[in-house]
This record gives sequence, structure tokens and C-alpha cells, in this order.
Amino acid sequence: MNTLTKRKIQNKVALSLSVLAAAIGLFWLFFILWDVFRHGLSFITPDLFTKDPVPPGFEGGGLRNAFVGQMLITLVAMVIGIPIGVLGGTFLSEYGRHSKLGRFISTLSDIMVSVPSIVIGTFVYAIMVKPIGHFNGWAGGVALAIIMIPVVIRTTEDMMSLVPWSLREAAFALGAPYYKVITQVVYRGAATGIFTGILLSIARVAGETAPLLFTSFNNSFFTTNLNDSTPSLTVTIFQYAMGPYDDWHGMAWAAALVITVAILFITIAGRLLIKWRYRS
Amino acid sequence: MGIYFPPISLGFGKSNMANRNPIDYRDKIFKTMTFAAAMMVLVLIAGIFFSLVKQAVPAISKFGFFRFISTATWDPVHEVFGAAASLYGTIVTTVLAMSIAIPVSIGIAIFMTELCPNFLKSAMGTAIELLAAIPSIIYGMWGLFTLAPIMGDTVEPFLQQTIGRVPYLGSLFSGTPLGIDILTASTILSIMIIPFMASIARDTFNLTPQVLRESAYGIGATRWEVIRNVVIPYSRKGVLGGIVIAMGRALGETMAVAFVLGNKHEIAHSLLDASATITVTLANEFTEADSDIYMASLFYLAVILFVMSFLTLAAAKFLLKEKIES
Amino acid sequence: MKLKNIFLSLVFIATSLSLTAGDMINGAGATFPYPVYSAWAFNYYRATGVKLNYQSIGSGGGVRQIKNRTVDFGASDAPVKPADLKKMNLIQFPAIIGGVVPVVNIRGMKPGQLKLDGETLSKILLGEISKWNDPRIAVINKGVSLPDANITVVHRSDGSGTTAIFTSYLATVSKDWSEKVGKGKSVNWPVGIGGKGNEGVANYAKRVKNSIGYVEFAYAKQNKLTYVKLRNKNGYFVDPSFGAFKDAAAGAKWNPDKGYYLWLVDVPGDGSWPIAGASFILLGTEKLAANRKVVKFFDWSFNTGDATAKKLTYVPLPKSLKDSIRRYWKRNGIY
Repeated sequence: MNTLTKRKIQNKVALSLSVLAAAIGLFWLFFILWDVFRHGLSFITPDLFTKDPVPPGFEGGGLRNAFVGQMLITLVAMVIGIPIGVLGGTFLSEYGRHSKLGRFISTLSDIMVSVPSIVIGTFVYAIMVKPIGHFNGWAGGVALAIIMIPVVIRTTEDMMSLVPWSLREAAFALGAPYYKVITQVVYRGAATGIFTGILLSIARVAGETAPLLFTSFNNSFFTTNLNDSTPSLTVTIFQYAMGPYDDWHGMAWAAALVITVAILFITIAGRLLIKWRYRS
Repeated sequence: MGIYFPPISLGFGKSNMANRNPIDYRDKIFKTMTFAAAMMVLVLIAGIFFSLVKQAVPAISKFGFFRFISTATWDPVHEVFGAAASLYGTIVTTVLAMSIAIPVSIGIAIFMTELCPNFLKSAMGTAIELLAAIPSIIYGMWGLFTLAPIMGDTVEPFLQQTIGRVPYLGSLFSGTPLGIDILTASTILSIMIIPFMASIARDTFNLTPQVLRESAYGIGATRWEVIRNVVIPYSRKGVLGGIVIAMGRALGETMAVAFVLGNKHEIAHSLLDASATITVTLANEFTEADSDIYMASLFYLAVILFVMSFLTLAAAKFLLKEKIES
Repeated sequence: MKLKNIFLSLVFIATSLSLTAGDMINGAGATFPYPVYSAWAFNYYRATGVKLNYQSIGSGGGVRQIKNRTVDFGASDAPVKPADLKKMNLIQFPAIIGGVVPVVNIRGMKPGQLKLDGETLSKILLGEISKWNDPRIAVINKGVSLPDANITVVHRSDGSGTTAIFTSYLATVSKDWSEKVGKGKSVNWPVGIGGKGNEGVANYAKRVKNSIGYVEFAYAKQNKLTYVKLRNKNGYFVDPSFGAFKDAAAGAKWNPDKGYYLWLVDVPGDGSWPIAGASFILLGTEKLAANRKVVKFFDWSFNTGDATAKKLTYVPLPKSLKDSIRRYWKRNGIY
């Protein structure tokens, strides 16, 4: 009887601890979100999106340049990263699925997902900033693309593997060549999944700071010319939050709020999409 | 499907096989394209490694390997550089963050797989995923403005009053509590990696066959005993893989720690001391290194970080793969 | 295929946007003059439509970036030695004068209330004096209540001209400092935590209790930090102020042939602030077209920017020095 009580107590304690752990996890999430909302909300004004920064000590100003710069850099990353990622994933799930090389690359891309992003920044600095001779927005886009590629490859491969083989075989039987089968049957079947993977990869790179520090750098003016150093929201947050001025801190919170809401929105959208598509 | 293929001419001779069989030709093009895209992964990884090594050559030849990683001095004035202090900071913050995060995330995984009512399961899952999606710079900024004052004013003085009085262990908490130190940085880092670890642990717990659980319940085991003696042993390798993946994340994280670590190139003896990690050193000094050997030393640090995280993740891959195959 | 259309329109937007080029001058370097350069750049843009993007990454970075020619001009508070100028093929001229001030964060302490001399200051930064109520601080601060608290030193983590000016002052007034630490843009600090840029030090000094740091005076003023009175070479305790910085610069002998290489620390004069310095602009000698654009900006700022500088408590260059710099530009074929 004594051991039974002991076991029951042990059971209660261990289970309570795990409930506590879950509560801690949720607590942090709400604490951080609440803080970002609390500090950022009052600085969300039309000026934030329509005006450029002013020097410390001047009144007003906003972060229009950083919003536009961030979008341009992300756009470049998408234009480079999505096709390479989708095609690469296609190879891994179709042509290369049984080859040693294919499996090797698949493993490598899993590892590459977690290569420290700051290391990618130093790499792009060495190949694109130093030789060109100045910081530029393109380099920032390329750095983000490099982070994006393995993420897109992984989800594309997974989603295409989920398309049943019988579908492909049916198409082969009609005499379609493999690339037609892939583009018209497999892609169609896996479209939602691939699209979600792309969404999540955008969410991932939109919040990256470290790879932009030495590539696209920063700019206090509005620019759409990516040959110049290009401002981004994340680097601006870094600069403003590290700085001493109170209005900088306010704007950093506001920018943090915008970027967090955008990323959470994309993440939730992606999750809902997957759920809706793969209900079974 | 109307199969119509417009003739393609890429300037090849008429007698070319490809022209006679355009279907085959196009398939080849497509295949080559996908192959090239997949090879990009290989090219990029090799490119990153070799270009970083190339930039680091002056420092590698000047300081060597063992001397570089065992020297704690980081002195730009006299151009003496060693990685020991940054390496130490990286390892200490990672280990400390792991020791906070492992129990919490396993607890979360247990809650989600064994205890959580069904209607809460997906909400919990979403919440954990959102926590993982928050950009690291937000963590860093929040750390500086919100967590650092709490740590410096309340938590750290409390730790000094309690654990700080225990002999030996107490020296870990000596010094002035500022909130800008290893302890705060590790706390933020642990919050960042909890979601990764928790979701991998949850997925591997879910892989435990229901039959095993039920037979354990059948012989009268309590829930905790089932978890401890059936679920955890069954998924040990998977959980270990998740831990190692999260460790790889922690090693390479920059922004979450850059705000609150205090940038000090010294081997700290107290958790309340400032420190520096490889990532923070790179972020702060990369654009400002003024001599060539300084720059090369930073690239050298980048090489070390790259190799470290590569090996860590390769180990994680290996562990997770074995799990699936066995 | 819908995805394809979305993708193609993305490509279109990206290319069309990148073709709209603008007129932009890029500079990077010292954080010390950032408030005044960014104010000048803001006014210059309003007046002429030309954008001057100045990023404050530290003087070390300024020298590095102009050496690699990744920017149109670099800025450094620590002047580059004439021999190095020649080696890196650079020209150098001062653009503004200011002062570095020690700032403290002690509850109840008012700006200018705490007094320090060079010897005591260097002992604090060496870690030899570790508490605010140390008798060596108390003896020069009779009647000021000093807390029984540990001192936290906040210094720069990046290559910094402000650090160069500050440490060259400490090395001048303290033999111990000069032997143990030395002077330079980044030194091996015996104690303390590091902040990035003048901005970072100001931010940490504001947040960390019982700390002492050093920043350019504009940062102390804009952020209402508690600055310290210092004893100058003639033995007087002075407040940092426009007049005290101006006095420090009054006797300076500027020499264009040496790239205006000059330090303004611990200079004689009853009213001089002991830690003053000029901030310098660095140009790549061969980049004539870009240099002309940069010089046009500084010429405009020399003509119209004095009031802006004074408002931020920087000392504009005296007229004779401005004329000398204009002759120097002409000699280098960029004015």
C-alpha cells in the first residue's frame, strides 16, 4: 500500500511539473507579444509608414524607407530563392529520389537550414560586397535567398513525396514524359503544400537581421535603387533599440510590432492552409 | 491533355537526336534544371566553407589552430587575437540555455502528448509554433528592455541572496547584478529554443506505438511510469536529435544575445559577468575591423562557428535518421 | 499556372524598381559626430535634393570602409597618421570639433556635481577604485553623498575614435594607464561591459545603475545623462560646455601637409575641457568625382551649418581653418 501511495504521489508531481512547463511556454509567448503590443501600438501612426527618418533631436519622422527597403530585399530573395528551392526539391523527390547523391543533398539541405545566419552574412560580404566595392541591397537579397533555399527545398520535397505514385503512373500510361507529369500532375497535387512552404520561408527570412548587417547595411534615406546600401526594418530595429533616444526606442517597438504581426499572420495562414488541404 | 509540342531550335543540327525526339529533349532540360538547383545546396555549402577559409588565411597562418582557440586575448591594438573568450561565451550560453530549455520542453511535450485534452492540442501546437516564428531580433530587444531590468533588479539579487551564499556554487553568482550578462542572455536563448525542442520531442513521443502504452497501463502502471519507462526510452534517440538540433540553433544565434551580453572578451567566472559569443563578436566588429589581420581573425571565427554548427547538425541528423530506420 | 503569374509579376516589380536610380553619397564611420552630420545631411537634402547617407558604425569601421573603398567617405575621430594616409592613398581633413565627457548614473547625482581628476578617473577605469564611496573619490567631492555601491564601467565594444580620444587623454594623465592599457581605437579594457557606438554606451549608461561611461557631449545632452566635472591641465575643475571645447581648440596648430593630424587632449588653458577632439573626414585620393560631391556637401555645411552644430554643442571649425581646408581641397583637385 505504501509503495502505491508513493507511486501515486510521484505520478501527480511529475504530471504537475509538465503542466507547469507548458504554462511556462505559453507564459513567455504571451509576455513577449503583450509587451510588443503595449509598447508598439502607440507609435503606430500614419507617419510611421509615410515619412522617412529624421536625425535625432528633430521632431517627427517615420520608417517608410525601412518598410520599402525590407520589401525590396525580401522580393529579391523570393525571386532567387523560390525557383531554386522548388526545382531543387523537385529533383530530390523525383529524379534523384533513389540516388545516393540525392539523399546526400537532402541531408545537406537539412543541415543548411540551421547554418548560423550571420555566417551567411559574412560569406555574402566576401563574394558580393568586397568585390563590388560597396554595400548593396542585392547582397542582402542574396543572403536571404541562401537562407530561404533549403527551407523551400525541404518542404517541396516532402510535399511532392506525398503525392501518390499511382497518379504519376496514370499519367505515364497516357504517354506523358516525366517533366509533363511533374509540372502538370505532381505540382498540381502538391501546390498547396509547396505554397505553404514558400510562405513559411518568407516568414523565416523576413525577420532575419544578422545576414543583412554587412550586406545591405543601412540607409537613413528612402531608396529603391538596390545598388545603394538599403535600409531594412530589422537592422533599423537593431540600431534604434541599441541607441539611447526615447523616440528611437518607440519606433523600434512599432517596427517590431509590425514585423511580428506580419510574420505571425503568415505563419497562421500557412498552418490553416495545410490543415484545410490535408484534412484527412 | 492535348499533347502538342512546338518545335524548339536551340541551334543544334537537324540530325540531332534531340530534334527528332523533342519529348526526350525537354525532359532532359527540365531534369538538368532541377539537378542544377539541387546542386546549389552543395555548391553553397562548399562555397561558404572555402570562401571563409580563404579570407581567414592570414589569421590561420599567423595564429595556427590550437593557439587561436586557446588564446583568450582579443586585442586589436597589439593585433593579438584568440578565439577562446568568444568560444567560451558561445559554449557557456548554449549549455546554460540547454539546461533551462531541456526540462521545460520535455515537460511541454509530455503535456501535449499525454495530458492535454484534445481540443487544446492544436491550440497549444499553434502557440508553440508562433513562439518559434517570432524573429530573434524581437527576442533580443525584448530582452534588453523588459527582461534585463527584471533580472538585474529582482531575479539576480535574489539568486545572490540564496544560491550565492552556498560555498563554491555561490561564486557563480558573484559580481554586480546588472541584467546585462550571461544569465540573461542564456534565459532569452532558452526561450528561443524551447519551441524547437518541444515540437520535435512531441513528434517523437507521438511515434510511440499505442500498443506499448496500453500494455503498460494494463499491468497497472501509472501515467508517469508509462511516460518514464515506455515513452521516453522508446523515443530517446529522437529526443536527443531534437536536443542537438536546438543546440545547433543556440550556437549560431546572434540577435537574441547581442543586446544583453555586454560584449566583453574575457573568460567570465560568474554568470553575472558580461561575455561575448562568436556571433556577437562578428555582428559588432565585422564592419569596423580596421586591419587586415583583424578582419582575417573575424573570418576565422566565422569558419569555426560554421564548422561547429555543421558538425552539431550532422550529428543530429544522424541520430534522427537512425531513429526512423530502426 | 497562377503561381507562375505571381512569380513573373514579382520579377517585373523588382527589376522596374531597381532601375530608378537616385543621387546618393554614402559615408560611414565615427559615431561621435553622427548627430551633427545627420542633421547637416537632413538640411542638405531639403536644400539640394542630394541624399547623404551617413551610417555611424565607429571610427575603426570608417577607416576600414574607406580603405576598401566601400563608401564615398570615411569618418574618424582618431586622425590617421600621415604615413598611413600615404599608404592607403587617402586625404584627410577635420570637419567638426567636440568633447568627450565621462557620464555617471548615480541616483540623485546632478550633472556637473561629481568632480574627478585624470588620476582618479583612470583608477576607476583600471578597476583599482571599485566603489563610489572610495576615499580617493570622496576627497575631491566634499559634501557630495556617494553611495556604497560597486562601479560598473561602460566602454565601447567597437573600434572607436571616441575611445581613441578618451584613452589618449588617460594615457597622457596617468602613467599606469599608459603602461597597462595604452591608447587606441579599441583597447583591452580591464573591467566593464561594452556598448556598440556612442549610442550603445549612452543606452547602457542610462540603464545600468552606478555606472560610468564616456560619450560625445551631444549624446550626454540629448539623453540628459549626468556628466562629470574634470580637472584640466591648469588645475581648474571645468564643466563640459561649448566654451570649454572652444578654448581647448583655440591654440591648435593645424597642418594640412600632415593631413591635419592633431590631438586636443589635456591642452593648457584655464577654461579648456581636457578631452576634446576633432572629427576627421577621409577620402580616397583617386575617386575625384565622388570626392567632389562629398566636398560640396562639407563646403555647404561649413557655410551654413555652424548654427546647427552649436545647437548640438559641437564647435564649428574656425574660419581660418575652413579656408585652409578649402585650399587643401583645391590642391587635391576636388574643389
